[in-house]
Amino acid sequence: MSRPKVAFFDFTSCEGCQLTVVDTLQTHPELLDAVEIVQFREAMTEKGEDYQIAFVEGSCARKSDEERLARIRQQAQIVVALGACAHLGGINAIRNRLPLEAVVNCVYNENGDWSETHPYGRPRLSDRLINVEPTAKPIEAIITVDAILPGCPIDREEFARVTRQLLQGSQPRVPDYPLCVECKFKENVCLFQRGQVCLGPVIRAGCGAICPTYGESCEGCRGPISNPNMDSMQSVLAEAGLTADDLLSRFSMFGTYQMMKLE
Amino acid sequence: MSLRVISMDAMGRFVASSRSEYRVVGPKPLHGQYIFGDVESPDDLHLNYTQTVIPPKKYLFPQREELLRFKSGDGEIEPVFDAPPTILLGLHTCDLHAIRLLDRVFSSGHVDQHYRRRRDNTLVISIECLRPCSRHSFCKSMGTLSATDAFDLHLTDLGAEYTVDVGSEAGEALLAKHAKTRRATDDDYQRLNTALAQKWPHFPYRLDFDVSELPSLMRTSYNSPLWKDLGERCLACGSCTNVCPTCYCFNVQDEVDFALSAGRRVRIWDSCQLDEFATIAGGHNFRKTRAERQRHRFLRKGQYQTDAFGLLGCVGCGRCAQACLAHITPVDTFNTLHHERSGGAARPKGGAA
Amino acid sequence: MSGTLIETLGESLYLPQTARIRDVRPITAMEKLFTLELPSGLTLDHNPGQFIELSVLGVGEAPISISSSPSRSNGTFELCVRRAGDVTGALHRMAAGQVVGVRGPFGRGFPIERFRGKDILFAPGGLGLAPLRSLINQVLDERGKYGRVTILYGAKHPSELLFKDELAAWKERGDVELHVTVDRPDENWTGNVGVITTLFARAQVYARNTVAVTCGPPVMYRFVLMELVGKGIPDGNIYLSFERRMKCGVGKCGHCQINHIYTCQSGPVFSYAEIKGVQEAL
Repeated sequence: MSRPKVAFFDFTSCEGCQLTVVDTLQTHPELLDAVEIVQFREAMTEKGEDYQIAFVEGSCARKSDEERLARIRQQAQIVVALGACAHLGGINAIRNRLPLEAVVNCVYNENGDWSETHPYGRPRLSDRLINVEPTAKPIEAIITVDAILPGCPIDREEFARVTRQLLQGSQPRVPDYPLCVECKFKENVCLFQRGQVCLGPVIRAGCGAICPTYGESCEGCRGPISNPNMDSMQSVLAEAGLTADDLLSRFSMFGTYQMMKLE
Repeated sequence: MSLRVISMDAMGRFVASSRSEYRVVGPKPLHGQYIFGDVESPDDLHLNYTQTVIPPKKYLFPQREELLRFKSGDGEIEPVFDAPPTILLGLHTCDLHAIRLLDRVFSSGHVDQHYRRRRDNTLVISIECLRPCSRHSFCKSMGTLSATDAFDLHLTDLGAEYTVDVGSEAGEALLAKHAKTRRATDDDYQRLNTALAQKWPHFPYRLDFDVSELPSLMRTSYNSPLWKDLGERCLACGSCTNVCPTCYCFNVQDEVDFALSAGRRVRIWDSCQLDEFATIAGGHNFRKTRAERQRHRFLRKGQYQTDAFGLLGCVGCGRCAQACLAHITPVDTFNTLHHERSGGAARPKGGAA
Repeated sequence: MSGTLIETLGESLYLPQTARIRDVRPITAMEKLFTLELPSGLTLDHNPGQFIELSVLGVGEAPISISSSPSRSNGTFELCVRRAGDVTGALHRMAAGQVVGVRGPFGRGFPIERFRGKDILFAPGGLGLAPLRSLINQVLDERGKYGRVTILYGAKHPSELLFKDELAAWKERGDVELHVTVDRPDENWTGNVGVITTLFARAQVYARNTVAVTCGPPVMYRFVLMELVGKGIPDGNIYLSFERRMKCGVGKCGHCQINHIYTCQSGPVFSYAEIKGVQEAL
């Protein structure tokens, strides 16, 4: 592939992964010589519809999203799920456990029908919910995905590496082993030993164990490895004093969609 | 060679002086544990330390190491050797035994020049262990509580002074150039012998059998029901092998620039405990289950390495036991297998002595 | 530069030499035959059954068995490569004139001197013909030194048969017995149908003087061994070539271990007698 055309798309998300891409363009400006970016709302005004590689951030959460995703899939030779929302459903999927009305009440409280901040006056919130799907989904629930860039947000170096692998024509691979590997490489003192808990033993590496390195528990934004030993993980967390409910709430931060599928 | 004596103060000056020629590496505190790191000043010296998270192996066989640099178009390739003169200071004797095994592995058959060059540029200063450094260590059972011949200098803490056992000419030269020492007197010998004699009762024997039986025990343990149990508990996180001073399995990967024209080939620590370790390109995995992989790990430690290199693959440091969240430990594993074979009841699992 | 390729590892075990692709020939939808040429002065000097580590610089390195026989080396050698991973995928996209890296040859090949005067029964399955072709052609090039030569070759589908022109040539020769079978025939297939073991009934074997050689997918060995042992061929005369993840090729990286055995060093060719008691082998 000689200087492939690349487009970035955002669905329901905070756009933090695209910001990380912008960051990467600054630390690796040579990336701009290797690809031609034709659409990237976060960084440019042009909107080219002729592209080979599509990076998609965000979960599929609105009724119109499915059709838009299908169009992207039809145009792109390669679709990459960019970040936890696109890869897992992520934080957006936390609401999947509640009816939409309950979510609205939870977020905007009972006065939520009258949004003071809306720029076009005061549309009824229930009207605006017409386009919202009751469940937020990873994009893979709608279209075939060729590669994933996990994380909340994505890892800058991993984005660079996966892009290079795509340019080479290789199947991009992200680690499929637990975070503990990278954490041990860095010689971090295990958080369990410091009296904390961490999801690292069942979560996909690739972030350089960034949270445990700064003393924070892994919350699983990169999703579980393909073959996690959940039974043993449960025993480990139980030993650290976590109840079954604590455990579920830990995994539900990024894994609600997956957990609900298993139930 | 000769026995010298160095004072605590002189030890600090020795480190400061050596730094003009060598990268000096020693144990340093971190979040209640120790790690090996650069000793920047005499204040950084912590020779009375507990077990480090990762062994000093990382200075001979780094987590990530560049092997080659290349330009892909014309196929220009050159090897990379990164072997700065280094002093590994304050190694416990288990780590010394481990380096002995690594030396054999990388020097026999095809000699690994990348390891060898680094090793040849490294001076090892070990220290006698007078008290256990970890509740998981079982060095006494593994026969690694005394120094091997792999050191250049070997220290024993006598309170206000260290005796220095000179193990090589390079060690002797280092001492002569950078340290102020004195020849050991009869009194020093006596104090040394007392310290050595008094240390042993502080270390528990933790294997329920003699370690010389370990290879034969492992040879008959392939079909033990224990492996299934370990497989159910194992998280396949690779921590046991990543903290192991004798593990050296690696993966090799290419990294390229965005123009795809130049790059490097690096080797990175790998672990036989990870899912894909024995998977071939077509997708077949020759060690699919965690049970098979744990079995492979322990057979390698207790039998395969002894068969191939004449040294046990486990030095009893206990780092893997410390790192394992599922409480899989070599002591429990070896003892359970021993009791299975001798028909006796296994000791309760998980209890550290 | 002069000498053998393996001698060039004196500087670094991991340093490949460049080899130029002289020819690329598609064989099936999945396999291509690459003819490689070493820099002048360097020779491969391999035994049938050995492998090389092939680099596509920037993508990585993969172990590939050598498909050509030493008797036909002619300054070049051949690799029959299936597109299975990143390295082989990238290699498949390369063309004559481009450059790859090679290290080796590694491992222990077939002890061909022990085959002299014996009948030889070849039983390749699928891609297993790629390494055995090196030995078969070596034997055919010094045909007089061996007794009966029988080749039993099984593939999944007619479209997956390798080296069809050579199969035809072997069939033509009066001094080779060749039987080919496929699991799933297509409408044009007129030959045998069934897995490779269905061919064994056709082979007349004087067991005491026969050496059997087999290579194929992991699932195949048990069944072929049952046939070979059933025919009374001594365990020490049955040779198997194994595929494992041989990352370094020099007995260090650990990926190819079968119990205590480094496949890249002691293998990839083993006699059945050697690995019969090795639990992870089969």
